Amino acid sequence: MRVVEDGTLSKRVKVSSGKIGGLSDDTSVGEQGSCSLSGSMAPLLASEDDKVVGSNGVISKVEFVRIITEALYSLGYSKIGAHLEEESGIPLHSNLVLTFVQQILDGQWDESVTTLHQIDLMDENIIKLASFAILEQKFFELLDGEEEMDALKTLRTQIIPLRVNCDRAPELSYFIVCPSQISLDKTHSQESRLSSRKKLLGELRKLLPPTVIIPENRLVCLVEQALDLQKDNCRFHNSVGEMSLLVDHQCGKDKIPYQTVQILKEHYGEVWFLKFSHNGRYLASSSCDSRVIIWVVNVDGHVIMRHRLTGHRQPVSYISWSPEDDQILTCGDDKTVRRWDIDSGECLCVYEKQNLGLVSCGWAADGKSIFTGVTDKSISMWDLKGKEVESWKGQRTHCMADLGITSDGKELITLCKENVVLLFGWETESERFIEENQTITSFALSEDGKLLLVSLWDGDIHLWDIDGCMEWIGEYNGHTRSRLLVRSCFGGLEQAFIASGSENSKVYIWHRASMELVFSLSGHSGAVNCVSWNPANPHMLASASDDHTIRIWGLKRVNSKSNGTLEKV
Amino acid sequence: MGRIFVVDLDGKTYRCKFCKTHLAQAEQLISRSFHCQRGKAYLFNTVVNVTSGSPEERMMISGLHTVSDVFCCSCGQLLGWKYLVAHEESQKYKQGKFALERDGIIDGADSEFYIAFL
Repeated sequence: MRVVEDGTLSKRVKVSSGKIGGLSDDTSVGEQGSCSLSGSMAPLLASEDDKVVGSNGVISKVEFVRIITEALYSLGYSKIGAHLEEESGIPLHSNLVLTFVQQILDGQWDESVTTLHQIDLMDENIIKLASFAILEQKFFELLDGEEEMDALKTLRTQIIPLRVNCDRAPELSYFIVCPSQISLDKTHSQESRLSSRKKLLGELRKLLPPTVIIPENRLVCLVEQALDLQKDNCRFHNSVGEMSLLVDHQCGKDKIPYQTVQILKEHYGEVWFLKFSHNGRYLASSSCDSRVIIWVVNVDGHVIMRHRLTGHRQPVSYISWSPEDDQILTCGDDKTVRRWDIDSGECLCVYEKQNLGLVSCGWAADGKSIFTGVTDKSISMWDLKGKEVESWKGQRTHCMADLGITSDGKELITLCKENVVLLFGWETESERFIEENQTITSFALSEDGKLLLVSLWDGDIHLWDIDGCMEWIGEYNGHTRSRLLVRSCFGGLEQAFIASGSENSKVYIWHRASMELVFSLSGHSGAVNCVSWNPANPHMLASASDDHTIRIWGLKRVNSKSNGTLEKV
Repeated sequence: MGRIFVVDLDGKTYRCKFCKTHLAQAEQLISRSFHCQRGKAYLFNTVVNVTSGSPEERMMISGLHTVSDVFCCSCGQLLGWKYLVAHEESQKYKQGKFALERDGIIDGADSEFYIAFL
């Protein structure tokens, strides 16, 4: 806060005319170079009494002008920058600092260290670290110029007595012995001397306090912070791109899928499950007629059927895409797991266990093995040829439950009891639990593997943070569920939204952070069993329903002239 | 009608006679001597895989109660009722519990017996 009374105001004016660049309270009064200002800089702040900018009174005018000046220089407008310094009477950097910078660029190492001590930095450690960096540069340039004795002298008499970065000193002495190693370390031979000095300057700028040397691009940094804040507050934000500086950012709902753009009718029965591939180019769906359909998502957003996979004898309830999106695993009521190739539509392998059933499936992170849940509540790991490789017994999985894998591939996620989610580290056999107070019907994992969405018996959806310690984040409701297995998913830009099906035939979309219901989309004429948001297209959402159709939801109707097969809604 | 979500129970269980969906564990049985208009009924602490109808006031042999009918979530068969409120003090113990009609449920041992007669 810089609200000051007039008496002190004039005092401050006087003091600042003697101090250049020193603004925060802990900057000293002792800068020497200040009196040697050029004549044109003399009328300092005399015309304006305002020390603050803006109505809140929190922005110091001097700081504000300095970061604008820095921004002008960074943009390359050095003439304007210099003019601003002159006209405002607020120099960007003190003369000492300017001298220091010039000395670095000129390679006047010892002089620059002396200047450094003159800039009163109040922190011995910073002076030492900065001196170290400067002397290290001197050391390397001497070695480069083959003046080993001088380099050694620098190391012994100047660098080591600083007593900072103590493990670096032996490394430096090694370079005297083996100068050829330097090019690997400091790329001296490749860069010109000037650019390596500029690099040193950049490092020194980060080291020295911001009141002494304004951090580079500080104004841009502040603007980006403001934009980030606006973006966080934007509840419907679902598009990438430039954000305008001219108005506060606020998206309308029109960037979230809200209209049916396509209806897929190729299933013969109720559609129970669907999932987009990781790259968003395919969609796999299953229905209670035991068939699975692979769809291709065209570049224009139109979805076309590619393969109809037959083989399962009973409805398929879960589909898992391989990490490379070239294969899928399917499992269902017939308690076998099948692996299919997407390109050809062929079944590559059938996984079965004698006398037992396989109830859930998932890919390992490397795509070379798969995991399945078994009816005896154990989990098995299989190779691609169909051989069981490992089995973890015990109460690991509840019948007909989902199986998920965290993004690092280290933990399997299953329901080990009606109301308990187990995160099982399959290599270490570690266990972590999430306990709910009612039966869990299904769960979904976010793309980055840090969040888990748990659907509960009474219809609520709970969001948990599973990265590190398990924390309950929030609850989403509004949709209905009383008998069916209704699934939900993450989606949108940076997974900012949650979508769910519902027994009342609608698709529900909430904003994840604020838990606010954004849309409830009507259109289906039967319960919506499952939803999947395209990971590669934040504007495409698919829903599977008991009315035997899949609806693709988007922003606007795809142009019906292009394909002629679009249905009217 | 979509994939019906059912819970499977461990151990000895009572199931829906018509679709064999698990309803209650044997440990949850409290009493075998309940009666309703249609015959005998069993009282259970908790049951699973049922949906409830709307609450209504009903005069039963033991007094006025607020109950809601429960149905099997898989086949929809009327299975019995849930006691919501008992208006007489002596009947308060029934609140929150389920009465399932003997005719609509089977336990593990009886199943073969019933199949022979179907």
